Amino acid sequence: MPERLLDGLKALNRRVASLVGLALLLCSAFVLIDVVLRQVHLSFGGTDEISGYVMAIATSWGMGYALMELGHVRIDLIRTRVGAAGRSLFDLFSLFTLSASVTLIAIKCWPVLERSLANSSRANTPLETPLAWVQLPWLAGWVYFALISWITLLAALVLVMRREHAAAEAAIGALGEAEAAK
Amino acid sequence: MILYCSVGLLALLSLSIPVGIVLFLLGFGIDIFFSPFPLIRGLGNLVWSTSNNATLIAIPFFVLLGEILVRSGIATRTYAALDRWVSWLPGGLVHANVATATMFSATSGSSVATAATVATVAMPQAEKLGYDPKLFSGAIAAGGTLGIMIPPSINLIVYGFLTQSSIPKLFLAGLLPGLGLALGFMAITVLICLIRPGLGGERRLFSAAQMLQALVQLIPIVLLFTVIIGTIYKGWATPTEAASVGVFGAVAIAALFGTMNWRVVSESLMGTVKITAMIMLVILGASFLNFTLASAGLGNELSALLDGLGLSSLGLILVVVLIYIVLGFFIETLSLMVVTIPIIVPLVVAQGYDPIWFGILMIVLIEMALITPPVGLNLYVVQGARRSGRMSEVMLGAIPYVVMMLVMVGLLIAFPQIALFLPNAVQ
Repeated sequence: MPERLLDGLKALNRRVASLVGLALLLCSAFVLIDVVLRQVHLSFGGTDEISGYVMAIATSWGMGYALMELGHVRIDLIRTRVGAAGRSLFDLFSLFTLSASVTLIAIKCWPVLERSLANSSRANTPLETPLAWVQLPWLAGWVYFALISWITLLAALVLVMRREHAAAEAAIGALGEAEAAK
Repeated sequence: MILYCSVGLLALLSLSIPVGIVLFLLGFGIDIFFSPFPLIRGLGNLVWSTSNNATLIAIPFFVLLGEILVRSGIATRTYAALDRWVSWLPGGLVHANVATATMFSATSGSSVATAATVATVAMPQAEKLGYDPKLFSGAIAAGGTLGIMIPPSINLIVYGFLTQSSIPKLFLAGLLPGLGLALGFMAITVLICLIRPGLGGERRLFSAAQMLQALVQLIPIVLLFTVIIGTIYKGWATPTEAASVGVFGAVAIAALFGTMNWRVVSESLMGTVKITAMIMLVILGASFLNFTLASAGLGNELSALLDGLGLSSLGLILVVVLIYIVLGFFIETLSLMVVTIPIIVPLVVAQGYDPIWFGILMIVLIEMALITPPVGLNLYVVQGARRSGRMSEVMLGAIPYVVMMLVMVGLLIAFPQIALFLPNAVQ
């Protein structure tokens, strides 16, 4: 059961990541076209603003994929010097602090959207983007990241309690330096 | 507060909590213990304003650019081409390692990617041609570090962002020290191989026709670098815009060589998303810690500490250099940079040093951290690509290059103009 759940999460996050990647690619094309247009004294205007929004949303939605791929850097000097059970404890504790912190971040991000909704705030730019339009998907990304982390933590906890340390390590361990680079 | 931060940092890092989260936790702690008013209320706004940022999107663009160059096999061509140009020097292919790493760092902006690329391409050659494995692999590990110095450098973008310094200026400032280090690496290789010719493998001469043919292979990548740096230098484009020009330049080169396909695109994009999220978690944590430290009055505490220490400004720099060398044994590049910037940069700038100059000095020290054991990412990367032999060989082989880096640190302190000449000239 936890294995299937983790596999499902991985597949889901790969989908999410490919959408995020596509958004970044499109944004980069958009910026490029603007640079070229500027040479002939034309411009879309607002590319800076739009790339900022893309970056904010790509950041929050990319986090879950990095978590699944063990991409968030950890210093494992001590962790590698203990046995499999000890390593599992390190990993569970580390994921627990991550889940708790990300949840706190997501909660504290809500007032940002709440204020934009309450005041119908628009960006102070020529585009006058309604901020809620971009802050909603941004916040949703953080909430999604928090959920993914808690579910992963629970699945890994079940694995560790069953003493399936290798499976737990594959899901929430830290990559050795050499593998991390690949 | 400084003591709390330093001890807390080391304790939490050693628990193997993700670095970005460690920074957030320290920020929460400062808020609880040192701040008279609740700083956590600012967290949401800070996360929004930090990530809603048109400068930082240069990071995924430069990562993507590097990923495309690596995954489409352009690195292999570059290596073969540079081999023909530099292998007549004593040390032969070792110079091709350094030169390829230099050229790649000039486009990709990541050290590990540079080292991994060159290692994968170069290692099989070393065995075939009978090079000393120590020197050969050490040169790859060291050459790879140039990726964070020679512009465009992701680390310099992060430094510029966190210290509010101009990124184009940082890029220009990194150019001369970066090229200087590359030449220094080649010089020390020549020196070693003149003293101990056995280490260098056979020198090979290529005909002029072969060299010209190789040059054709190099033109696109040199052009790409010139366009990226040129547009920033001329003020036509911001680093972000130059990066997006670079992305499509890389796609065009790969298409020209016929190595572009959907797999390359999709793998590059996935890699970019992962690396970007990793970097952004660390940046967000550092921004929050920066904010809490500044709000809780780090400035006053630092000046009190400085007065108490009674160091001259040169003394301070030497202490800072020593701190980086020691921390560099254990902590890796981006983490090392980001966790120290909030405390060390204000200290140094308060003494009247130029933040652009210090950024470059810090990058050399961090490059050193990449190839000093026990934790030196590039050493592991190169060892990973070797698949045989002992780790200690790579470590020993890197020593001459560490010495060159120390020389560069000394030069930068003695002659700050090495870094500041170009950015000042442009003004």
